[in-house]
Amino acid sequence: MKIKFFDANAYIGTQMLGVYKSAATAAELLEKMDEVEIEKALVYHMAQFDYSPEEGNKMLVETMAGNKRLFGCWTLLPPQTEEVIADNFFTQMKKNRIFALNLFPVHHRFLLNGVVFGEFFKELIKRKIPLVLSMREGGATWEMLYSLLKEFPNLTCILTDLSIWGVDRYTFPLLEKYEKVYLESGVLSLHEGSFEMTVKKFGAKRLVFGTGFPEKYQEASMLHLLHSNISKTDKQKIAAGNMEKLLSEVKL
Amino acid sequence: MRNMSQLAKDIFKYGRVKDCPVYDMHGHMGSHYGIHFPTKSAEKTVKSMQAANVQKLIFSHHGSLMMRDGNSLSLKEARKFPGLLKVYCTINPNFPEVTEKDLAAFDEARHVYVGIKLLAAYHKKPITDDGYKKAWEFANKRKLFALVHTWGDNNMNGPEQIDEVARKYPDCKIFMGHSCHGEWDKAVLLANKYKNVYLELTAVPDERGPMEKFIEKAGSKKILFGTDMPWFSYHNYIGAVLGAVRKEEDLRNIFYLNAKKLLGEIGQL
Ligand SMILES: [Zn+2]
Repeated sequence: MKIKFFDANAYIGTQMLGVYKSAATAAELLEKMDEVEIEKALVYHMAQFDYSPEEGNKMLVETMAGNKRLFGCWTLLPPQTEEVIADNFFTQMKKNRIFALNLFPVHHRFLLNGVVFGEFFKELIKRKIPLVLSMREGGATWEMLYSLLKEFPNLTCILTDLSIWGVDRYTFPLLEKYEKVYLESGVLSLHEGSFEMTVKKFGAKRLVFGTGFPEKYQEASMLHLLHSNISKTDKQKIAAGNMEKLLSEVKL
Repeated sequence: MRNMSQLAKDIFKYGRVKDCPVYDMHGHMGSHYGIHFPTKSAEKTVKSMQAANVQKLIFSHHGSLMMRDGNSLSLKEARKFPGLLKVYCTINPNFPEVTEKDLAAFDEARHVYVGIKLLAAYHKKPITDDGYKKAWEFANKRKLFALVHTWGDNNMNGPEQIDEVARKYPDCKIFMGHSCHGEWDKAVLLANKYKNVYLELTAVPDERGPMEKFIEKAGSKKILFGTDMPWFSYHNYIGAVLGAVRKEEDLRNIFYLNAKKLLGEIGQL
């Protein structure tokens, strides 16, 4: 059985500071995915982070052009400003192959709580739409995440771009308490043995494969997963199965 | 895996390739104040090494870096696996009396020690400080290795400090740990300027691009593989190198040929 890969953490476009050989378009990303044999990916556009969620979300849809191997992830802003969340939001998501949402509260200057997102997050829970929380600079902080989950314990959250410092000390308590928290594997594959311990303690179902492309090498997390010390069934779940299952449950 | 050499394809398929060992020139051991490491002991480390055909790891124990007088922790772990594990003697300039004691006892551990390790940014004294002088002279006289933690935009162990010590101690083999992270061009300049200065890969795969630059501008003979073990896992880092380096000859230089040559020169192969 050949392991099939679904990348839960890749972006199109480049940072305003530049990134080495990034994929300017969806077509370029697909080419790079073909080169390393990654079948599918959940993607966002870097303009959603750097420039403007409002415009970046549109750019994502345009470049994806309905390609069935790509699953879009839009960036949220507070519903009250109507920049991103407006009437027919979920219909628009469906129409444009958007299966998940992310947000960058520090960089985009808002708070991540029920005052801002109360009704909207209740809707996400009902519709089983995953919220992707990047722990990169400008994304969420651990304090924000801990209080968010206290308020919305049933929210499906995928944590990406985890930093190496303290990672297990921050993530293990969340995995223990909230069963809908998932970790992207890219950085987890870094500490020797951490990945295996996470699987042993919390089960393979809590991890989704991700690369961090274009900033990181796809080959790094791929080689790690292929030769990690876990069962082949668990490898397949993490490589693609868990992500496919999560997205298949989304109701739009 | 399109565009990959047969060697890279085999590593992807089998996880390890018999005729392509890996020498890890930058590692650690033990637990750590800021990170949970499941792989702490020499026994577990060696198990991970075997899974990726890593045949040599040169390390300094976290206890030798983060507290006074901890080199005995490195020696104790290394002696459990004498063929596989070698040690850098950590020099902390804040405790000259310990440095003196460690250098005086260096020969008692001469089959384990391969050189010195400096972590100036943490110990808050530049590598050019007098507190390191004895250790530099010692390593230079004996033509040993010096693994120096280096980082860009930094006046403790940045490119300018390396420039100074490389000139002053030409017989010491200086490994720029993390290759002056961020100031990649300056690291390349130093590797090209000095015969005794090498680029080391730990934390370099944080981003795509620098490794490709090193290959193109300094050449694979000046690049050493390292992981900060257990900070970064073997298969992740080997995968990153496979993603950046296309030619089999370059891969072999980085994974083991350069390291073997250097270890041979100090009689520690
Ligand atoms: Zn280190």
